[in-house]
Amino acid sequence: MAPIIRIENLTKKFENFIAVDHLNLEVGEGEILGLLGPNGAGKTTTLLMLTTVIKPTEGTALIGPYEVTREPDKARTLIGMAFQEPKLLWVDAPWDILNWHAKVCGLSVEERKKRVRWALEELELWNDRLKSVHTFSGGMRKRVEIAKILIQRPKIAIVDEPTAQIDIVGKHRIWNMLRDLRDEGSTILLATNELYEADVLSHRVAIMHKGKLLVCDEPKKLKDNIPGGDVIEIALERDVPNETFEKLKKIPRVVNALAIKQNQLKIYLNQAEEVLPRITEFFMKEQLPVRSIRMSEPSLDDVFAHYTGLTIEEAQRE
Amino acid sequence: MISLRKIWTVAERDIRMFLRYKFLLIMRAIWFVSQIALFGLVVNRMFRPDVQTAVGGNYFNYYAAGIIITMLYSTSVFIGYDIYEEADHGVIEYLLSVPVSRKELVLGRSIGGGLRSFLYVGPMMLFVLYLIGVSSFLQLLVALLSLFLFTFGVAGFSITLAVSIKSSDRFDILMGVTDALIVRLSTTLYPIAFMQYYAGIASVNPLTFAADLFRWGAGIESTALTPPLLAVLGIVVFFSVFTFLGIFLHERRLEGGGWQ
Repeated sequence: MAPIIRIENLTKKFENFIAVDHLNLEVGEGEILGLLGPNGAGKTTTLLMLTTVIKPTEGTALIGPYEVTREPDKARTLIGMAFQEPKLLWVDAPWDILNWHAKVCGLSVEERKKRVRWALEELELWNDRLKSVHTFSGGMRKRVEIAKILIQRPKIAIVDEPTAQIDIVGKHRIWNMLRDLRDEGSTILLATNELYEADVLSHRVAIMHKGKLLVCDEPKKLKDNIPGGDVIEIALERDVPNETFEKLKKIPRVVNALAIKQNQLKIYLNQAEEVLPRITEFFMKEQLPVRSIRMSEPSLDDVFAHYTGLTIEEAQRE
Repeated sequence: MISLRKIWTVAERDIRMFLRYKFLLIMRAIWFVSQIALFGLVVNRMFRPDVQTAVGGNYFNYYAAGIIITMLYSTSVFIGYDIYEEADHGVIEYLLSVPVSRKELVLGRSIGGGLRSFLYVGPMMLFVLYLIGVSSFLQLLVALLSLFLFTFGVAGFSITLAVSIKSSDRFDILMGVTDALIVRLSTTLYPIAFMQYYAGIASVNPLTFAADLFRWGAGIESTALTPPLLAVLGIVVFFSVFTFLGIFLHERRLEGGGWQ
């Protein structure tokens, strides 16, 4: 896939705080690229620079043939964005918001009416189309925000946490709509802190932390490439002492051990079937009774943990 | 290349938004009625004949025309308050992300802010013109076209201040003080001949240009009025300066993330 977005050394500083730090990334035409990271990773700031809402402090990005700093007006003609926090004026109704959005994006009256109606019906907002968004729940507002992009069908659709505050049925509906959008020719840049969402939707996932890009590849490759490709989650009857983690790492083929909760831990290892007896033996010796053991495939959370030493939840808390 | 269609789309949105501020619109209409029916009529009886002569023979007419300009001013600046409302709801980021250039956005907002003011004040303006009686429709047309530009300039002025000041409370206070000063240091309420030390400032005040031009358009004849050509030029300069500043600040301050 030829790149339609080229990000080169993109940096944004807010006084002394570096929100995005020399980011380099390419997004292929027709691709869904998941930008994964905890809150504060720099995802939204990156997206705002790509949509020319804010100017980079350093570096640049090419949207198609247009550089965001030199030809922002042209770059915006290729882009549509659904924001993380719905950007809706509280006195407006969904019908007016979406109709205006379609109009400003240059859709004809006929097409506008058709697409607005379709999106409102698909997102189950048709009956509320004339009510002020002031009266809407967070999930309903989010659906109005997503509808903008579905109506616009831009060459590059940028969606920032598209299913936050939306129930599971709604999430699946939006994921399918985003896939349809991609099938119709849009490239999708999806920022999310939901691992499952990034995993099921993205061709490639770029993981960001503290403004930096840690790694970017296909989800399967990312998971396969973690040293210690097997994961065992163990719940104990009591809290895990700190020294346990270091002791566990000394067991052959154990690559890493991380705390999930006070009495739960995750162990990354190779050839889990062979090592598991030794691990259970270890806990018995340490007089740490095991409540449950679960073996699983590595997830993107594990990939994140591999690169940062933290789970996404821990990074979020940081 | 600026697209008129896009400018109109932006303007149309601001006009639609304004009509939803029903409470504000009703209150401003009550204010207008009280200024004309109470204050204007009473004050008119207090003035000596020489004052009446200086303002074209009838202070009430002079005052009523001036009140229309203060109405145009105060409703045009309301776009600045919209900008704060939008900043609170994140709508500014959205507007900066749509396929509209910054020039089109600021021009559209200035025009929308001005047009909605004109639409709202229009019926009151017609009423005042009926009271005064129009003598030359050509003069009136020139005046009205200039007043269109005046309202766009005021909206641009308000956008410029809103974008420059980060706090909505400060903006609110500043607009209150600016309103008091800009109206009182103009000829909207009284002629320049009686302003002594303040005459210099009043003679370059855009509200003076607008008020005197409207009076000229309505057919009020007085040597106290600013020459119409000068008034038109003043309004053009006012419009140009604040539209340019609005565009400049949108590009510099907002895109830099300055409102965040």
